[in-house]
Amino acid sequence: MDPSFDLPDSTDWISTSLPLFESLEAALRCEVCKEFYDGPVITACSHTFCSICIRRCITNDGKCPACKQAVQADKLLPNIAIREIVNRFQVTREDALELARRDKEELRVAENGGKKRKLDDTDLEDEDVGRQTRSRTTRSSQRSNGAREPRIEIPDSEDEGDAYVPEGLVPCPLCMKAMKEVQIWTHMETDCPKAQSSAPASRSRTKSKVMNPLQRRQKNESPAPARLPQLTYALLRETQLRDKLKELGIPASGKKDLLIRRHTEWLHLWNSNCDSDQVKTKRELLKELDVWERTQGGNARVVENKVMKKDYDGKAHADTHKSQFDELIANARRERAALKKKIAEDQIEGVQPTGTEGQNPEPPHPKPPAIVEAVNPYEGNDSALAIIREKVEEANRGGNILQSLEQHTSTSDLNTEAEPKVGHRAHSISSGIANPLGSPSRKMPMFTLPEDPVVDIDATSTH
Amino acid sequence: MGTPASKRLFKEYRALSSDPPDGITAGPVSEDDMFVWEALIQGPEGTPFEGGVFPAELKFPRDYPLAPPTMRFMVDVWHPNVVYPNGTVCISILHPPGDDPHHYEQASERWSPIQSVEKILISVMSMLAEPNDESPANVDAARMWREKRAEYETRVRDNVRKSLGL
Repeated sequence: MDPSFDLPDSTDWISTSLPLFESLEAALRCEVCKEFYDGPVITACSHTFCSICIRRCITNDGKCPACKQAVQADKLLPNIAIREIVNRFQVTREDALELARRDKEELRVAENGGKKRKLDDTDLEDEDVGRQTRSRTTRSSQRSNGAREPRIEIPDSEDEGDAYVPEGLVPCPLCMKAMKEVQIWTHMETDCPKAQSSAPASRSRTKSKVMNPLQRRQKNESPAPARLPQLTYALLRETQLRDKLKELGIPASGKKDLLIRRHTEWLHLWNSNCDSDQVKTKRELLKELDVWERTQGGNARVVENKVMKKDYDGKAHADTHKSQFDELIANARRERAALKKKIAEDQIEGVQPTGTEGQNPEPPHPKPPAIVEAVNPYEGNDSALAIIREKVEEANRGGNILQSLEQHTSTSDLNTEAEPKVGHRAHSISSGIANPLGSPSRKMPMFTLPEDPVVDIDATSTH
Repeated sequence: MGTPASKRLFKEYRALSSDPPDGITAGPVSEDDMFVWEALIQGPEGTPFEGGVFPAELKFPRDYPLAPPTMRFMVDVWHPNVVYPNGTVCISILHPPGDDPHHYEQASERWSPIQSVEKILISVMSMLAEPNDESPANVDAARMWREKRAEYETRVRDNVRKSLGL
């Protein structure tokens, strides 16, 4: 991903001394892909797009992206003037941008440390800056008026790439000598020092692949590759279509639907290549088709599923599948509870004969502070408090509070538990086991009656 | 990188970060995946949404920009054009051309490859200020907006306050 940070963009101009170039450059970019026009074509409704972009759009919905009028792929015409402008602009872009950036940098230095630093043209500069710090536009407009033209001369330009080009003139793409545009062709053919000798070098220096005009002329003489016709897929059977793909020399695997999509994409690539002035070889086009295959074609799914995404959103997954998870958890709980209950039941049945119902002589001994704690949540709920107080009193009197409480538990259990037909005692015990969280019953021996009614009050209060 | 979609998304990200429109921030959640973005939209001034900051998630299809992204608010937004409670935004710019069974929208308002994330977010911002109650996604909110404006505004303000943790 890192190298892509170098992607040139029209917003590069914003931070330079020529912010208005942003809109100029934006006008030279395709509105669909936001790149410089590549093989620009004009539609019947006079909108211009990259050939490949508009072809894909037409396949998608058959309409012009700008005005929504119906357009047809075979009515597209190359827009040569735009192509030339874009090519020229790309050649000069880098140098112009560099110049504008450096200019801005100098201005900033002058603004920040103008007093301290000794600049060659300090006196003039300081006044100038003082007047102009208000707005960017003022400055750039003054600049274009030539108010500060003398400063534009670059005293120590390392290479001719930074040469200043006066208004109305253009630099020769090879030797960068400024001249009128009409003179350039004769200049390059006759007296340009670099035309023959170092043309390749100069081409490799600039990033864009604009061709030496001489070469381009030769290229144009060779017959352009013919555009491929659309197929009427509905009339073709899968095998016939497969044969067509084989004829074209592109992969022919997959179902008919995929074959159609692949063929369509191949038409996009091939036909837009015909509109370009830098014709790609079939091998390059096949490589592009392969990229398509991996991202949108037959291999797309596989690649996506192979690795878990780095930013895999576990929470979202948990949220969307919450009901399933809840069900699983509930199932597990129920099973465990049933199992424990069964074990407890078995053991109780074994123990029952020697059971000690009513042989627990000590009266229950409630701990008042614990009750107060349990009561706290009901503060303000007077009726609940009254009931609880009553029970406490009853317990202190040594009555059969346990029994009444057990009845409470069992009725509450009837609503929730799967197997209600178990004896009272089993219930009070199993509920103690099934709900071990924060319950003092956990520490109790399994087969003695709970001595502490607080537990059971808890159970009733959840009711 | 490499596919037209991710390349274009990266460009939009660059353009948005170097020249952001007022009240809007947006970018991919992770730079490994250009197809999921997060956006923050400020509530437009002079509306009950004022003062709020609304996070939203944008998901882009593989054939972007031929098809539009989907957008979902990550907080409660009580609005005629936002599905409640899941937050999906329903406005014409997010609808693919030709996909309009009710003919509520003009073709020119709908998605086109020359639209962009920036334009979507600006549209959403103006949608917050001016709901379109002709094709509401949240019928209750639309009715409230039409008939009980004061109640609507109170509810929106409450949501804003809640989302800010006040």
